[in-house]
Amino acid sequence: MSKADTPKVLTGNLLRNGATVYYTGSGWSAHVAEAQVAATAAEAEELRKIGAAAYAANLVIDVNVVDVQPTAEHRPTHIREVIRATGPTVRPDLNKSMSPG
Amino acid sequence: MYIYDDFDHTIAKQRVAEFRDQVNRRIKGELTEEQFRPLRLMNGLYLQLHAYMLRIAVPYGTLSAAQMRKLAHIARVYDRGYGHFTTRQNIQYNWIKLEQVPDLMAELATVQLHGNQTSGNCVRNVTADHFSGVIDGEIEDPRIVSEAIRQWSTFHPEFSWLPRKFKIAVTGAEKDRAAVQWHDIGLHIVRDDAGEVGYAVYVGGGMGRIPVLATKVRGFLPKRELLSYLEAILRVYNRYGRRDNIHKARIKILVRDLGPEEFIRQVEEEWEASRHSGVNLPPEEEIRIARYFEPPAYEKIAVPVAAFEDAKKANRAFAQWISTNVHPHKTPGYAIVTISLKPIGGIPGDASAEQMEAVASLAERFSLAEIRVSHIQNLVLPHVRQADLFAVWQELGKIGFANANAGLVTDIIACPGLDYCSLANARSIPVAQRISERFADLDRQHKIGALQIKISGCINACGHHHAGHIGILGVDKAGQEFYQLTLGGAGDETASTGQLIGPGFSSDGIVDAVEKVIDAYLDLRQPNETFISAYRRVGPAPFKEKLYGVSR
Repeated sequence: MSKADTPKVLTGNLLRNGATVYYTGSGWSAHVAEAQVAATAAEAEELRKIGAAAYAANLVIDVNVVDVQPTAEHRPTHIREVIRATGPTVRPDLNKSMSPG
Repeated sequence: MYIYDDFDHTIAKQRVAEFRDQVNRRIKGELTEEQFRPLRLMNGLYLQLHAYMLRIAVPYGTLSAAQMRKLAHIARVYDRGYGHFTTRQNIQYNWIKLEQVPDLMAELATVQLHGNQTSGNCVRNVTADHFSGVIDGEIEDPRIVSEAIRQWSTFHPEFSWLPRKFKIAVTGAEKDRAAVQWHDIGLHIVRDDAGEVGYAVYVGGGMGRIPVLATKVRGFLPKRELLSYLEAILRVYNRYGRRDNIHKARIKILVRDLGPEEFIRQVEEEWEASRHSGVNLPPEEEIRIARYFEPPAYEKIAVPVAAFEDAKKANRAFAQWISTNVHPHKTPGYAIVTISLKPIGGIPGDASAEQMEAVASLAERFSLAEIRVSHIQNLVLPHVRQADLFAVWQELGKIGFANANAGLVTDIIACPGLDYCSLANARSIPVAQRISERFADLDRQHKIGALQIKISGCINACGHHHAGHIGILGVDKAGQEFYQLTLGGAGDETASTGQLIGPGFSSDGIVDAVEKVIDAYLDLRQPNETFISAYRRVGPAPFKEKLYGVSR
């Protein structure tokens, strides 16, 4: 469950190919570490508005603001979001890292 | 195998063209997601955690080698090199791109494949015994009526927006391998006292949040009247099934709320009004469909087949595989081979493009180019000469599919779970993998004997945990994966619902719990007593004691 005082990022799936992506402040990245983090409730609300606009613009679907840990990697707090960020745990050969490069 | 006529080909091509147009309009922004979502679902296209997922129907589980090759091609070109065979005899791909789906579907249509009836609140892809047409003692091949139901239900205008999805399964032998009592409608082909062929009709079975075994609404329905009777059932459901609450929308809830007697009365009343409407299959059409399922030209083979008998004596591993993965065929000298998609530590139901192609080649060489998909997430070669079994076994070994575990503790059903599925609360596959590794020793598996473990990653129960001798349900407990254990479920002709045995287990604890249950069984079983028989004899108490101690 989302907690008010936990850092948050904006995520969704690209309409065209379904890829899991994160909002970076200027665009969308496959890596959660590149996401723009909302530290306050007001910033989280701003992310929600950006997500709603991107959904309305048919860029992303299944848009959500999710909790992350206060680390450089922005590791999501819930296992579901960790798996979304990295890939199926049973296919490490297909996984992506949270950080680029 | 059934071959599409011009009408089928035309509607398949038209559907591809229609969906191509819908995808284009969606990408251009002319359709919103709210408008597009039900359209893509009607074509089997879901959004999962990592990408779109496309589910492709394998009607009544029968595939040609050419179709399997096409599925391999799809995996390689449009996905990441593999696919997942599901508990409804379908296949799904996990890494699909929306913009490529129209081309993908056009390729599928060239081999009679599509995603119709794999999602949405319609009559879903009909399932049947994976040994249809080849197992001894069958009254009739259930694929004949399944094909008639497929034709009748495809894009059926009245039943395209039911209160909820609707699943029909058919079995033609006494032994039920299609889990008919767990379906919205289950048909068991039977003979009446006069020897006429018809159906025992079950209605209102289902898993999910509220597991219910179906009610037998008719002991014998004459064959020629089936479609009008199905129409009457669906019409009553369509009219009175709940649309206000998704959790109460399946026909099982309507049957429960009306009571079986009143439900049957309404169906019979509807049927009296509509049974002469002309929907029933004309006899000449049944004969036309049945022709496609006539037995192939088998060779006349003298039995016993010496080479086969000698190989069994000479090779213990081969004999072990024969004992679990090979079933007697109704034709002398032939056999039915179950290809285990459950390698130790593997992902239940997954197959790579290379494995699919190897299976297609084996089918062409050894099984009259035919393959079956089972709801247990295995594949079947239905027409193998006994003399070829050793070669088939060796070839399967080369692709990792020769495990002698069909029906044993490591032949586990598992839904995709939280590794892929957006509905899941917990992972299923890693639990299956760890149980598989714990019981890797084949002699131990054979000593334990027949045992079905079924794992679902959420209450929707795609992993059929309610019907597992040992069922495992993954839940989210304060952000952690947690697993409930049920015992005593079954999906065959003795169908029963598994009962929760006690408090659940952590991800670390669940494999130990399963092992304790099995140890308890080994301690108390009588000679030749299977797990499910033993459980039914002694009840849950000894298992509870082993799991939780006497004080609990």
